[in-house]
Amino acid sequence: MKTAASAVVLYTADSRRRTGFWRSLAGMAGNICRARELIRQLFIRDYLAVHKKSFLGLAWIVLAPVVATLSWLFMNAAGVLQPGTTGVPYPVYVLLGTTLWGLFTGFYQSATQTLTAAQSYILQVRYPHEVLLVKQALEQTVNFAAALAVNLLAFLWFGVRPSWLLLLLPLTTLPLFFLGAGLGLIMAVLGVVAAEFKRLCEVALGLMLFITPVLYNPAALGPRFQEVLRWNPLTHLLDTARSTMLAGTVPDPLAFACSSLFALAVFLLAWRLFYVSEHRVIEKLF
Amino acid sequence: MELAHDTVIQVAGLHKKFCRHLRRSMFYGTLDVTRDMLGWRYATGVLRPREFWALEDVSFELKRGEALGIIGPNGSGKTTLLRILNGIFPPDRGWAAVRGRIGALIAVGAGFHPNMTGRENIRLNGTILGLTRREIEERFEAIVEFADIGEFLDAPVATYSSGMTVRLGFAIAVHATPEILLADEVLAVGDLRFALKCYRKIAEYRRNGGALLLVSHSMQLVRNVCHRTLWLEHGRVRQLGETQAVCDAYERDVLQRSATATSREDIVRINHDPLVQIERVEFLDEQGRACAAFPVGARFRARIHYHCRRQVTAPIFTLALTTVENITAVANYSNLDAPHLLATAAGRGWVDFEIAQLALKPGNYDCTVNLEEQALDNVLDWHERAYRFAVISAESPLMHGLFQPSVRWEAGRP
Repeated sequence: MKTAASAVVLYTADSRRRTGFWRSLAGMAGNICRARELIRQLFIRDYLAVHKKSFLGLAWIVLAPVVATLSWLFMNAAGVLQPGTTGVPYPVYVLLGTTLWGLFTGFYQSATQTLTAAQSYILQVRYPHEVLLVKQALEQTVNFAAALAVNLLAFLWFGVRPSWLLLLLPLTTLPLFFLGAGLGLIMAVLGVVAAEFKRLCEVALGLMLFITPVLYNPAALGPRFQEVLRWNPLTHLLDTARSTMLAGTVPDPLAFACSSLFALAVFLLAWRLFYVSEHRVIEKLF
Repeated sequence: MELAHDTVIQVAGLHKKFCRHLRRSMFYGTLDVTRDMLGWRYATGVLRPREFWALEDVSFELKRGEALGIIGPNGSGKTTLLRILNGIFPPDRGWAAVRGRIGALIAVGAGFHPNMTGRENIRLNGTILGLTRREIEERFEAIVEFADIGEFLDAPVATYSSGMTVRLGFAIAVHATPEILLADEVLAVGDLRFALKCYRKIAEYRRNGGALLLVSHSMQLVRNVCHRTLWLEHGRVRQLGETQAVCDAYERDVLQRSATATSREDIVRINHDPLVQIERVEFLDEQGRACAAFPVGARFRARIHYHCRRQVTAPIFTLALTTVENITAVANYSNLDAPHLLATAAGRGWVDFEIAQLALKPGNYDCTVNLEEQALDNVLDWHERAYRFAVISAESPLMHGLFQPSVRWEAGRP
């Protein structure tokens, strides 16, 4: 036993609140680095074990964006949806758009479950809960990679040649992670003590799908709607990720930079919120 | 924070509050989270409307190699205390300092995934408990052997019996070699063979300097395992000290409390002849005073008061003593024990039933009395488990059996 050598951990009412902003962020990042093995194990458990019982298995991952695309295509063919000129065949445009949107909402959804996904042992075993955020985000990333493969097949089918800037995708989608996971973490905390917030946020996200150019080209809208879209950070984040892939251009670099900074700020604040209040919230879980 | 060199847990003035009202609890939660986020200072250590102290001013210390029992009725704050020490809940006032890796035997097997095999779950659970991949590989064989799950190792945990799940969970937890072990009622599960194995393992762990905090309702277990014991009641420390003294005091308290409890639902009174009634039963001590608790081995007397408004020929009184688990310890019939007790009964009177030495183990007992006429199947009045008394511990520390006679041991050689 190494008792004498071990450090003393002190629990007081406000030990977390007293920890400085940057120190708390660094502490959580350190926890994640140290818990790599735990993340790996939880990932295996939740990702592979869940699919063990299902016949379609991992095929479910690509099925979702394909089905979503089919429904938008149907509406487009029926003339309900007027996307404007998209530069590439509409199926490619909408498939890529929904895949990116799916990545964003996936990050959001999975982050909201940071505390609840492990409810069975969160009250029993002590471990850094931020590892669940990383594990959940990893799952989303793998799902995204699979969906991306379907996208590339669609590119081939429709004869679209992606730009080499496709390789920048990890960078261009990073702000989507910050914004999605940030909002999700805030809801992970607030959703426990005030479920209304989480519901409101979900309603708002449903609305956001339509005021973000996922299914249509923003140029097809009137000027007043374009103004609304311009103030939506998701417009720039999503449009940039898609444009770099399809056309190899960044439509509005300044707006993208501002939106990315906004996303980062949301994420850092959310991380802090999670740090100071996760224990207070866990009390309310049971 | 400095602790004395051999102290592993120190708790001082610890308070924890909860809120009884769900909606208000959520409101307070939102308020606290907002203040935390904005960095506002606020007093956590005071009660707001509808809040109560789940733990109030709890202080104690645990040293290396020591075992501290935590006892108390349900809802006295035992599990909350363990959760604070395990870093799951924050305290609201006071502090707790912990040195060393904590292993929690609270709901062992939490985190097992039913679709994954035992082998996969060992790796996962070991990692959750803070073991590195190498440490898990090194201990893998020992864990499997301890859990004794045989060929089920490569079967999904969903196919395990509940006993096997507990064994595997316990095996992983004890092989994580924590410096402090928090155990909450876990030893109460599993079969006897496994329970003994666990005791041996815990004893070995303690010899190696491990500290143990044991929450249990089993006084027997606490007496056997712990040096000192903390008795919690309504979140407050009622007593802290030598296990023997604390457990005795606790048992006396519990017994006296339930012996005087009047509202009981399992009491059945059946009367077949309204003219004949057993009015009440009194318990009397050696001095003939009414009492509700007898020390082990004391003289016991039950006085059955009857009222017969007609003449009952050849009355038979029967009396039985059962444990609260409804095991019959004593059952006697006056027609067999004392055929000439009463030829007839009329008007008011009483019958005494005496046991010279009440050699029963400490606990609560229920007394059933019947009054029959001429034959046992002719019941006039029946009071099923209607009267309760307690047997309280004298001095002897270890008592397992229901029957506690005064005994003698002798050694010899062939």
